[in-house]
Amino acid sequence: MENIPPIKGFIETSFLDWPGKVCSVFFLPYCNFRCPFCHNHVLVTAAESLDSIPLDTVLDRIRSMREWIDGVCISGGEPTIHPGLLEMIKVIRAEGFKIKLDTNGTQPETLRYLIMEKLVDEIAMDVKGPLDEISYAACAGVSVPIELIRKSINLLLENRVPYTFRTTVVPSLLPEDKIYEMAEQLRGATGLTLQNFNPADPMDPALKVVAPYSEEKLKEIQESVDEIIKDHNRMIAESAETGLR
Amino acid sequence: MGSVVQLSSPEQEKRMQETTDMALFVHTSKEAIDGWNREKIVDALVRETYVDRDTADAISLEVEQQVLSSGIKMLTAPLIRELVDAKLIERGLEQARMMHTRLGVPLYDAEQMIMHPNKENANVPHGPEATNLTLAEGIKKEYALLNVFTQDVGEAHMRGDIHLHDLGFIDRPYCSGQSLEYLKKFGLNLPNSLAMAKPAKHPEVLLAHMVKFAAALQSNFAGAIGWDAVNLFFAPYLVDLSDREVKQLAQMLIFEFSQQAVARGGQAIFSDINLYWEVPKHFEDVPAIGPGGTYTGKTYAEYEKDAQRFVWLLFDVFKEGDASGRPFFFPKPLVHITEKFFKTPGHEKFLNHICDVAADKGNTYFVFDRGSTAKISECCRLSFKLEQSDLEDAKEPWKMRYSALQNVTLNLPRIAYRSGKDNTRLFENITEMMKITADAHSKKREFILRLLSNEKSGPLNLLTMKLDGTPYLRMHRCTYLIGMVGLNELIQYHIGQEMHESHEATKFGLEVIAHMKLVSDKLSRKYGMRFVLEQTPAESTAYRFAKLDIQYYPEEATEIVKGDLKRNEIYYTNSTLYNVGASMNPIERTRLEGRFHPIIEAGAITHIWLGESKPSKESLANFVTKTFRYTKNDQIAFSPEFTACKECGKVSRGLHEKCSYCGSEDVDGITRITGYFTRVSSWNKGKLGELKDRYRNQGQFKKQGVS
Repeated sequence: MENIPPIKGFIETSFLDWPGKVCSVFFLPYCNFRCPFCHNHVLVTAAESLDSIPLDTVLDRIRSMREWIDGVCISGGEPTIHPGLLEMIKVIRAEGFKIKLDTNGTQPETLRYLIMEKLVDEIAMDVKGPLDEISYAACAGVSVPIELIRKSINLLLENRVPYTFRTTVVPSLLPEDKIYEMAEQLRGATGLTLQNFNPADPMDPALKVVAPYSEEKLKEIQESVDEIIKDHNRMIAESAETGLR
Repeated sequence: MGSVVQLSSPEQEKRMQETTDMALFVHTSKEAIDGWNREKIVDALVRETYVDRDTADAISLEVEQQVLSSGIKMLTAPLIRELVDAKLIERGLEQARMMHTRLGVPLYDAEQMIMHPNKENANVPHGPEATNLTLAEGIKKEYALLNVFTQDVGEAHMRGDIHLHDLGFIDRPYCSGQSLEYLKKFGLNLPNSLAMAKPAKHPEVLLAHMVKFAAALQSNFAGAIGWDAVNLFFAPYLVDLSDREVKQLAQMLIFEFSQQAVARGGQAIFSDINLYWEVPKHFEDVPAIGPGGTYTGKTYAEYEKDAQRFVWLLFDVFKEGDASGRPFFFPKPLVHITEKFFKTPGHEKFLNHICDVAADKGNTYFVFDRGSTAKISECCRLSFKLEQSDLEDAKEPWKMRYSALQNVTLNLPRIAYRSGKDNTRLFENITEMMKITADAHSKKREFILRLLSNEKSGPLNLLTMKLDGTPYLRMHRCTYLIGMVGLNELIQYHIGQEMHESHEATKFGLEVIAHMKLVSDKLSRKYGMRFVLEQTPAESTAYRFAKLDIQYYPEEATEIVKGDLKRNEIYYTNSTLYNVGASMNPIERTRLEGRFHPIIEAGAITHIWLGESKPSKESLANFVTKTFRYTKNDQIAFSPEFTACKECGKVSRGLHEKCSYCGSEDVDGITRITGYFTRVSSWNKGKLGELKDRYRNQGQFKKQGVS
């Protein structure tokens, strides 16, 4: 048990972290990225300032809501950098809760293991930007071996477990054409969900003055992204369409 | 009004009683007073009070003397009256003084009202019409306290033991729920209007009738105007319409009700539309009324498809919001979730659709009718459970008209302060306060009956119209609401824990409400009136009680009131709700608050404040289904928050100090104040305090060393 990563934050009931499900969210500390738009940056850079909540405590809480809580979303930070993640997942599963994992995709082998061993029920992977080292570094705040990201993407494309690709859209980092480039690169995926950037408290204070896209604009871009991905899919197989909106 | 008006002749006086043009000013000079007639004082005293002519004569002489010797240049009628009142007091004629008193407002207050917005009701915008409303309300309030209720009741209200809601609307019942069938069958045929309309032949005309009638009802009721099964009753008119045409109608309906802020006092009609996905059981076999007010030869069960089409498209419009994407404030859509709902094909998709609106705009209210219960909902949370006789009436749905005549709210924390943490005294004091409440209700009832007794020539003639043989206002089905504010603070003072802090506290809360229910049932039998418990929306009452308690019970209340005492942004927790700031997740809140709902007959609600986050519609649908299955909760609503920019017109999610698009600070927040959405800038201080405290389902991130 001492191997189990600390829980630094806990949402008992979430309606947005696992679409379709009522879930709890556990936040694990630390991250190997420094995304300038990160809104959870306390977890990344100042996790020591947060109390750890014992796993038993959070399990006690969600046990009392067993019939309501469909599963647990493990988020962060980046959960996959903790070697004890597997053990943690096993403990939660033993209680009868499903697992969704939020990840940045830098640990494809961990993801492969979790999928093959059927330890996760859904994965949401953040794709930060177009799949080249320069763009990715700009969006992730550190240089990233792009091969790892590609591996994780390809792994999810194997469709062994339900997944979503997500991108937080900061207009200054991701102009429209870059977003479409990403959509092209995610050919065969069930979709790419765009999330609006929130300038309230980003990791990089310089982003506070960046205006996010308006809701309408983002919706428009999302529709174009859906089109691009759909075109690819049509070529691949009719069956893949069932996952589309 | 600046000119000198002579005190009037008998003919003029007769005219004056019928109009509002009163003689106001009298000029005085050294020896004489122009147009002065001492006899006027005598006549008024004899007519208005029990004072005999000799005493009246003596008083008038004294006043005349005083006026002449005072050197007053401009004598006003109110001043004369006050001088006379002073003489009555000197003689110990207190009751006569009360009868002779003058109602109205000081010059300063009138100036304030004309220049500044009304903060008691966020649904009143600022403008000349609103000022009229506020001024009239002020006078009627005084009138009610002096002339309708007993002195005990009046004082209990003024002290803040209880709150008599809508005193400024003393001459109207509180709220009203009805059926479109009334208009479909009888057309728009109002006692006061010059033109009579036959039953509508076209859906647009039916809508026009609905809107006009709602406005007419708003003039005759203090509060909400609710409509039952709107999508179903429209359905027979929609059969031949394309989807585009039905959508157009949906849009018209929502815009009509949301832009009605040109009616009474510039106030939007507080309107509720009850909606169903299924054809409610009690309407299945009811013969449908169609265009022209004639029976179509089918039953309502056969109109399921068109009713569904309409309700779906109504929510399309809610989803789009107004021209700038803001949520509509009115009408409030209340969707009934029943056993039959889950058996009706297409319900999953529809539930996702209305949850999409709930997540995005917040409009949707989910009303749970479990077992064989059926309800018609209106107002912030008021609902009427349909009884056997109502299910009989359902065969002729135009008969389904309901009203709550008045709402009186108990200041529960004060009862605790007075009971010194002694159980017996606490329950006794609750009973006592409820007796005063029952007395208040019976006086209101008498008063309304008096107004109704003049039928066609009376002020409430609309409510006495008998198009179906019985008066529109069915007094025998009227309820009398007993509300409560601050159960949480009562418990906190009495046992030292708030309701979310222990099972014992919740259990004790349930005991208090069960006791209130018992007493209200007993009082119902005693008075032959239906007293029912209601969760008071308490938009301003929660603030008023807290303020008065800080004034009268500072020692007890200082630690108990919620909000920011320094900024005077204080409040009590509404009704039986749990502390709005307690970090209870939505499951707990829905489950625990729901335990109170079955005892609160007139309807209850749990609010889930979403804040900035935009949930997945499927997750909300999942939660709504579980709420129906696993709890006794009566009604839930999800409340997102928005910031609307006055500069660029864009709307963003969450409450921000600056527009996140253009950076302008000229922004206004939008969210639910109590049972409806409004602009935050119009809120009273108490609710502003509450807004800051609201727990928005944030995660728990504990900074080290901070407990």
